[in-house]
Amino acid sequence: MSEKKGLFGVWLAVLGIGIVVGLITTVKLFSQGHSLFNANDVLLWTLPLGAYIFLALASSGLTLLSAVPLVFGVKKYEPFAKRLVFLAIATLCGAFVSIGLELGSIFHMIYIMLSPNISSPIWWMGAIYSVELVVLIVKFFLMHKGDWHSGFSKFLALASFILALAAPLMIGSVFGITESRVTYFGPVMSIYCLLMAFLSGTALFIVYSLVVNRVTGNGVPVELYDEFALIFTYAAGVVTVFTLLKYAIESATVVPEFLVYRQFEHAFGTVGVFHSEVLLGLFLPLVLLLIPSVRKTVAGKILTSALVLAGTLLMHMEILLAGQSHPVGPKAEQFAPFISYFPSIWEILVFVFALTIMLLIYTLGERYLKLTEAPQ
Amino acid sequence: MPRYAMVIDLQRCVGCGACSIACRNENNVPEGIYWSNKITETVGTFPNVRYHYIPTLCNHCEYAPCVRGCPTKAMHKLDNGITMHNPNKCIGCKYCEFNCPYGVIYFNWETPHKFWRDKKAEIQGGTASPQEVVKDVGAKSVPYYNPEREATYAGIRPKGVVEKCTFCDHRVKKGMLPRCVEACPADARVFGDISDPKSDVSVLLGKFRSFRLREQIGTNPHVFYIRDFNPAAYQPTKGGV
Repeated sequence: MSEKKGLFGVWLAVLGIGIVVGLITTVKLFSQGHSLFNANDVLLWTLPLGAYIFLALASSGLTLLSAVPLVFGVKKYEPFAKRLVFLAIATLCGAFVSIGLELGSIFHMIYIMLSPNISSPIWWMGAIYSVELVVLIVKFFLMHKGDWHSGFSKFLALASFILALAAPLMIGSVFGITESRVTYFGPVMSIYCLLMAFLSGTALFIVYSLVVNRVTGNGVPVELYDEFALIFTYAAGVVTVFTLLKYAIESATVVPEFLVYRQFEHAFGTVGVFHSEVLLGLFLPLVLLLIPSVRKTVAGKILTSALVLAGTLLMHMEILLAGQSHPVGPKAEQFAPFISYFPSIWEILVFVFALTIMLLIYTLGERYLKLTEAPQ
Repeated sequence: MPRYAMVIDLQRCVGCGACSIACRNENNVPEGIYWSNKITETVGTFPNVRYHYIPTLCNHCEYAPCVRGCPTKAMHKLDNGITMHNPNKCIGCKYCEFNCPYGVIYFNWETPHKFWRDKKAEIQGGTASPQEVVKDVGAKSVPYYNPEREATYAGIRPKGVVEKCTFCDHRVKKGMLPRCVEACPADARVFGDISDPKSDVSVLLGKFRSFRLREQIGTNPHVFYIRDFNPAAYQPTKGGV
């Protein structure tokens, strides 16, 4: 017991250091501006934006997963519901930290409300995620008070499900509707983001729950995660099919932007036509998950989920960077034909801060909010 | 209400860059940012090579992707067709820059005109520091600061927001031409109301076949290019076999 207390203290100290470092980063960014990032007028959006996409989509995935018991009424999943909603809230808070620090003039955010542009996918993305956060918090509060099945509680579950469906579609359209960047795959990008949201949300839930079970020694019996592992396998399968389709289009098209895109090395290297992060972060875990003896073990679940989580982050980064890797129009006069990128220390610290906020909320929730309780 | 457009005559344009320099002075444009720019390319195989020079600026598109995507309407259209930006509403998301198919929007990554804030003289006791120069000429931020820009837009745009060409809306409002048009020594730029069939731009567009950048994506740009400069000649043959 005292050993566990000691470990908890160390964990809190680590998180405390993360918070202090994050606050220093925030002050530094707001005073010196975004010249601290390894970004420029070609490569506009870098790691903080990639981290936002990753966390926001994972949050949507968690919310979608929570709909299984809360919207579709599958009672045996009810012991997972409260934790799923809470994880969605915490992950979304991490995403907001990342996007908040990515933006140059955060105090101007008020104009998002005062002067909304409803033709802008960024506006819709911000609005949907903001409303979703509020809905999830209210829903969690009701669940915590024991109100799982009242009309209002069910309405909130349905609302959060619809919002979690819409938000990834909107993130996809932020990229997909840009006329200047064909390599983002147009409207298909929205469907891709939705699938990736479900995949990363499921992976995050499995890895988190099993690690917490292992560390605290309590919670839902690990056997109950077998069905989640099956859902996870299906999600990885669907994303794999979609990714193969994407590869087929990418390698067959002769659209000039794709020809340029194909000329250069990809961010994390390739094996043949396949990107390393896809091989190691999607195809490999799928193969492992298809082996029942691996899928049914705790170690197998943790390994595959961790691989998929890392893979989805890198896949988002690869897509984000590849679409901005060469200058548009006259910017080719100032910049090299291809922009290489490695995150600056400040960009890494923004990601660390976002993860710390997320993990701190997880930790406090796990400690004080009885996340595995279900209605009687 | 007029609908402003620009015609650039590539036969007259000599590629001197006077448009870009004039633009910088008129609009207090910081280092690294280009409201007025160019696309250059060299084609062919030596010794049969050609050099193309296309001056660029904001196309003031009718269906501007930057305007459609801006979450706060900081980037917006004026009634006269000018695509305008309001730095007070800009949240620095850079989506307009991301969305612009023409690469003509820039972000202020750091405090603009930082050089002129430097207190250190190049030669101690010999030359004035950049900050002293600014102070001595009684200017704001830069010694060549143009206060007239403030009439419709921030004289100098702050760190953390984007900026781009406004067709010199502050001059147009007073019945003057955009500064790049006025400064062009070859009269290669013609500016006017495209909705008026008698305007110079309409006359030129009727007389010469024009093209616009990336027309196929449907943004309906309002910067048109006519003619081309080509001094080359070749012997007539029956097909050159």
